[in-house]
Amino acid sequence: MAQNQQPRSIIDSLGEEIIRIITPVSICMVMVVILVSILSSDSSSASSISSIANIAYSETTSDSFWDKFKGALLNSLAFVAVVTIATFGLVLLFYLGCSRFLKYYMGFSSFVVLGFMGGEISLFLIRDLSVPIDCVTFLIVLYNFAVVGVLAVFMSKMAIFVTQGYLVVIGILVAYWFTLLPEWTTWALLIAMALYDLAAVLLPVGPLRLLVELAISRDEDIPALVYEARPVTNVDSDSRNGVVRRRVWRQRTNAGDGADESLDTRTTVNPNLNPNSHPDSNLTDETVNSAGSDGNSTRLIIAEEGRVLGRDNDLSAPLIDRRISVPLHGQENATTSPENLLLEGIVLGSTGAIKLGLGDFIFYSVLVGRAAMYDFMTVYACYLAIIAGLGVTLMLLAFYQKALPALPVSIALGVLFYFLTRLLLEVFVVQCSLNLVMF
Amino acid sequence: MEATSQANNNPSAAASSAAAAAATPTTPSNTILLSTPVWPTIDGPLGLNEDESVAHARRFYKFGYALLPWLWALNCFYFWPVLRHSRSFPRIRPYVVGSAIGFTVFTALLCSWALTFSIGGEALFGSTWDKLVMYNVADRLGLTGWI
Repeated sequence: MAQNQQPRSIIDSLGEEIIRIITPVSICMVMVVILVSILSSDSSSASSISSIANIAYSETTSDSFWDKFKGALLNSLAFVAVVTIATFGLVLLFYLGCSRFLKYYMGFSSFVVLGFMGGEISLFLIRDLSVPIDCVTFLIVLYNFAVVGVLAVFMSKMAIFVTQGYLVVIGILVAYWFTLLPEWTTWALLIAMALYDLAAVLLPVGPLRLLVELAISRDEDIPALVYEARPVTNVDSDSRNGVVRRRVWRQRTNAGDGADESLDTRTTVNPNLNPNSHPDSNLTDETVNSAGSDGNSTRLIIAEEGRVLGRDNDLSAPLIDRRISVPLHGQENATTSPENLLLEGIVLGSTGAIKLGLGDFIFYSVLVGRAAMYDFMTVYACYLAIIAGLGVTLMLLAFYQKALPALPVSIALGVLFYFLTRLLLEVFVVQCSLNLVMF
Repeated sequence: MEATSQANNNPSAAASSAAAAAATPTTPSNTILLSTPVWPTIDGPLGLNEDESVAHARRFYKFGYALLPWLWALNCFYFWPVLRHSRSFPRIRPYVVGSAIGFTVFTALLCSWALTFSIGGEALFGSTWDKLVMYNVADRLGLTGWI
């Protein structure tokens, strides 16, 4: 029996980890594009949603260029201001130790997103596709979906695949909601959030960085929605594992690859919380959706630091503690992922598992969804740009080994490619097609 | 360990119980010698150990009675090794098998009702079909106007 026992090189394991983070991002983007294509073939551009992102200015198609531009800028500035305030609010609550409150709020927000927004989007689909489903079946299915989703996000002991799937679904729903905003506001919002992300994570006074440092100093998890890729286990290291099997993935850092170890020593995530979660509940809830969805559009980049205690010891990483579900701290369960705080940003888990904030999923998908509203050519261009940006961010993460904002590079490339495609490439391709040079 | 009580006839079960108690350096994937898996969950070493699994399976089984067949299905999915190897994990197995049966029964009932409704249509139900179908209910209650 020939089995390939070659030691895995850094390329194998790194490539597999990158694939494990790019796959859910791609799935999220593809689903949002599909939703946008199916649901916006109707007139729904006439329906404008009123939400926190629209309070400064409601765009109409008849306004002039400058009006739309100024209105979009005002909207995005208002949105970023609200996000900043809410993030500072989150930092304050975390500092005061209200982790249980944050956790319950996160569960509630997940329920609102999955139940109400999921229900509405599926109602749109049912109406557009004329699916003959009755209300009893629909209610039972929706109730199941939402309750199990809250459990999956809430508890750390669910199947990894299910938790990851539900996080992606939450990302899809919130991203679709964002694509309903008017066009200029969407683009201004994306650029503003990318800049905010850059500032909040890298500046020493940024709220995300404060949150990260708080979490590190207290050795707690930041309660937020983070997508975590399944860690890659090194088969060779298992033979050296004399202790409980659960720690096999800690041993990965003790594998022979020095590069792996350097990757795994420190990970930081900066939580970048979208404050909409808090003020929306106090603001006029024009729609239940705006409360839930804005709450969920908080973006966090979580920071978590794994300390290497020695080659024979295990890294103390909050993630692993969660998996083993040993309550090392009193707030062990309270600090796990269920929060309506979406994370944005990228982190290396102490085992090399990459964590990406849910806010990143959402804004990437918003960009691609908005590109889909124009044409599929822009979708392809923006998808490639975003994946390239994500790759660059991962390389920077491996290089700098600290929490990094995952939005700026990808959004910058995506926006650039969108406008270049729309202005230059489309004309070129259309002319080529008309002259039968290329189809 | 209660698992050892079943180990009389099955030396591999003893090996697995010993492995569960104090891990041996064999991976779950090398179960050629072991006929029973070491880890009860589908996540393997990343999932729960046996004691926690019992509490977890029991809790999910009981919660599923609140009209949550999807929870039962996930219980079966999560403890797939328990279902597949019929002689392992005797403490967990009743709950997982109960979840599987409950999920099957509930889904059969729900599917039969949904298919009857959609295929029968107005011919079977008459005017109440229009009152029950979801898109009409949504329009009547204005459910799509929130966004």
